[in-house]
Amino acid sequence: MKTLRPALTIVILIGVLLCFGVQPTSAAKDNVLRIAFDAADITDLHPHFAHTTQDRGVVHLIFNGLVRYKTGDIGKFVPDLAESWEVSRDGLTWTFHLRKGVMVHPWKNNPGYELTSEDVVYSFTSAADKNKSAWAVEYAGMQFKAIDQYTVQVILEKPLSELLFLPKMADYAGGLIIPKKAVEDLGEGFKSHPVGTGPFVFKKYLPKEKAITVRNEKFYRGTPKLDGVEVFYMPDMSSRKFGLQSKELDVIEGPPSQPWVDEMRALRGVEVDVFGPGEAGVLYFNMAKKPFDDIRVRRAIAYALSRDEVVTTIGKAIADPVFSQIPQPQPGYLTRDEVLLRGKMDGKDYLYEVDRNKAKKLLSDAGFPKGLKTTVFMTERGEYAVPFQNIVAQLREAGIDVKVTVVDHPTYHHNIRADMNPIVEYNCWRPTADVRLTHFHHSDSIVKTGKKPVTNFMHLGEKDADGDGKVDSVDYQIEVARDLLDSGAQKAVWKETQFKLLDWCVSYPLFIKKFTFARRNNVQWGYDLTSTLILSPQINELTSIK
Amino acid sequence: MLAFSIRRILVAIPTLLIVLTITFVLIRIAPGDPAEVRLGDYASKEAVEALRRQMGLDRSMWVQYLEALKGLVQADFGRSIINGRPISGDLKRALPYTIQLTLFGIMFGVLFGIPTGVYSALRRNTLTDYIGRTLSLGGLSIPSFYLGILLMLVFSIHIPLFPVVGGGDIHDLADNLYHLFLPGLTLGLVMTAYVTRMTRSSVLNTLNEDFIRTARAKGLSERKVIYKHLLRNALLSIVALIGVYSIILTGGSVMVEIVFSRPGLGRMMIGALKQRDYTTLQAVMIVFATFVVLINLIADLLYGLVDPRVRRK
Repeated sequence: MKTLRPALTIVILIGVLLCFGVQPTSAAKDNVLRIAFDAADITDLHPHFAHTTQDRGVVHLIFNGLVRYKTGDIGKFVPDLAESWEVSRDGLTWTFHLRKGVMVHPWKNNPGYELTSEDVVYSFTSAADKNKSAWAVEYAGMQFKAIDQYTVQVILEKPLSELLFLPKMADYAGGLIIPKKAVEDLGEGFKSHPVGTGPFVFKKYLPKEKAITVRNEKFYRGTPKLDGVEVFYMPDMSSRKFGLQSKELDVIEGPPSQPWVDEMRALRGVEVDVFGPGEAGVLYFNMAKKPFDDIRVRRAIAYALSRDEVVTTIGKAIADPVFSQIPQPQPGYLTRDEVLLRGKMDGKDYLYEVDRNKAKKLLSDAGFPKGLKTTVFMTERGEYAVPFQNIVAQLREAGIDVKVTVVDHPTYHHNIRADMNPIVEYNCWRPTADVRLTHFHHSDSIVKTGKKPVTNFMHLGEKDADGDGKVDSVDYQIEVARDLLDSGAQKAVWKETQFKLLDWCVSYPLFIKKFTFARRNNVQWGYDLTSTLILSPQINELTSIK
Repeated sequence: MLAFSIRRILVAIPTLLIVLTITFVLIRIAPGDPAEVRLGDYASKEAVEALRRQMGLDRSMWVQYLEALKGLVQADFGRSIINGRPISGDLKRALPYTIQLTLFGIMFGVLFGIPTGVYSALRRNTLTDYIGRTLSLGGLSIPSFYLGILLMLVFSIHIPLFPVVGGGDIHDLADNLYHLFLPGLTLGLVMTAYVTRMTRSSVLNTLNEDFIRTARAKGLSERKVIYKHLLRNALLSIVALIGVYSIILTGGSVMVEIVFSRPGLGRMMIGALKQRDYTTLQAVMIVFATFVVLINLIADLLYGLVDPRVRRK
């Protein structure tokens, strides 16, 4: 026993140190909201590059747009940095009248200054430059002019409907206004020390740990109720949950998973927000790879799948079935009834409701009486992998054997863009129907071979989709809709385009999956959280901790 | 001893070179592009190509490799190709968190593992020995990240004593220790399990040596036999093995840092890997390799201290 004496002494010493040196954990008593994202770190806090949920979570505390999506509801636009705007009769010139007295946050030794039209023009010019922005293509062909200190004009090459134009001017991506002097002064440092005009001022970034912001006392919409917001980066789900339980965190990002939602709702003092718009999950069939060039094979896959089963796998509280390539609630989407009714009128089936016998017959007709085998890459990320596991299981019942090679997420994105997958599951939200249709269905966007390759995995516009031996395309419809100024007519063309896509079965819309965050029940957003484009709850001047 | 240390440090140079080369090649072979990661899935091919040029990824692999080598020689890791921050700044901030975590784990393991192993060996095949062996086997079997989650559940949620978020303020000792205790305990318990088992077997081997029998026959007290003869000789293999296990522990710290959200090297490595941040990943791997070389060197030096024969050689 004597041999153990030194060790025991040390144990006692450590015990004493712990008892007297530290305090038990408790909820933070300050008026600072702490939110944790499922991420290891930031990627880029420059708003014209920020695209990850964790980056947008910080960027939207700091920046504003000329107009903004109504907080918590992306269905409406309201004024923000611009008090009002009007469009010329020819639809080519949009004039924005800026709010006076909007102050840019202080940075380094600069106390800040009043935001003017010079900053707005600088910001949009930068957003349109492919070397300075990830969204440059959205602003191609636009000119920006400062008419006076508080008036800005945007001149278009071709007129755009309000439905397509205002999202480019709104508080999202390239529409977020960056102040000229701060960008020029901070240079490369701007992406890790952003300076804007929003309700919170960036204070500090601790790599791999958190970003700290403090209240903007001079915020033009009113002083924020919170003293500040700290954004944590915590890739481990259990740690985030424990952080919320121990009250070290106020809000945490969750996975889009029903069991997680149920588990969090069962915790005392915790509420779960499930909100949209969500990410639409669509299967795209690569017509450049056999046998997916055969419409019967593609339709067989569609008939082998039950949307309800996939939705149940994801969780009924967080997912809904979708019936068109443009998902609800985006203008231009199709309801189940619309798809059903139009199918009846056309004597066709655009719904493809599950019928595995029909699927087997179609396969047999296509020359695969014993079923077929294929191999795909799939990301390890749960939001993709979970529904896809169910899809694979359903397809197996119809005799379609899909061998899955699991890879990490960047590899998956690389491989699908390298045209390696015969079937691609892609989950995303796009700001407008035009962007979605262009990126996924226009021939310019064909992966690898398109003029501007993006995500046309199907090779639509390059291959025969309906089996008549001629190349099929929806380029014309997409371009016509884009040029229409009447929103109603625009929606009608988008709907027609989608009936074509459904008929050719080049892609199969499956589900829309909403976002899930848990919060302590003393956190009040200050608005009704229905949908938000930043994919996380917006924290603004109205948000408070009771 | 100085010549020995210099020789060992010189041997480390080719090791670091090999680590850099392997990391450089592997990360570039892996599919996925830093420009695509940074711009997101919305960006056009044109924008991705423009950013690749800005990042210098359009240059030949040789040019990039020589630049990485130059950085290694000058101990300047350059800037992250994803966020543009100087990597040395990020390393400077992350290193203390990883070093203190690993050191805590090693020290905890040594302080508790050696006495437990000795005690267990001296009472071989008794109830105490069985309990010690079972616990150490349990410690070896349980993955460190799972043990961390269990400890969090008990000491942060059910008994709210310790925090679960972050590494604490590095400039505030009390806050730092407060955040260090649970992750340190996680690694420490794993290390204790390793050290207990190897100490027990080393002591058991030494117990059967002739010099122990002679010492007892001379009528030396049991205390003297244990401290002067048994432990001194058993420590030789223990020190060597602690070096090896410390290296394993450094690897284990990656998962523990993620579970406890500590902003250390492990977090930096995983983040860089996910973002395909080539330059940061190269730097982190070099630092980890240096860690391993240093731990080996320290183990060798300790070996010399414990065994005068090594010093004489």
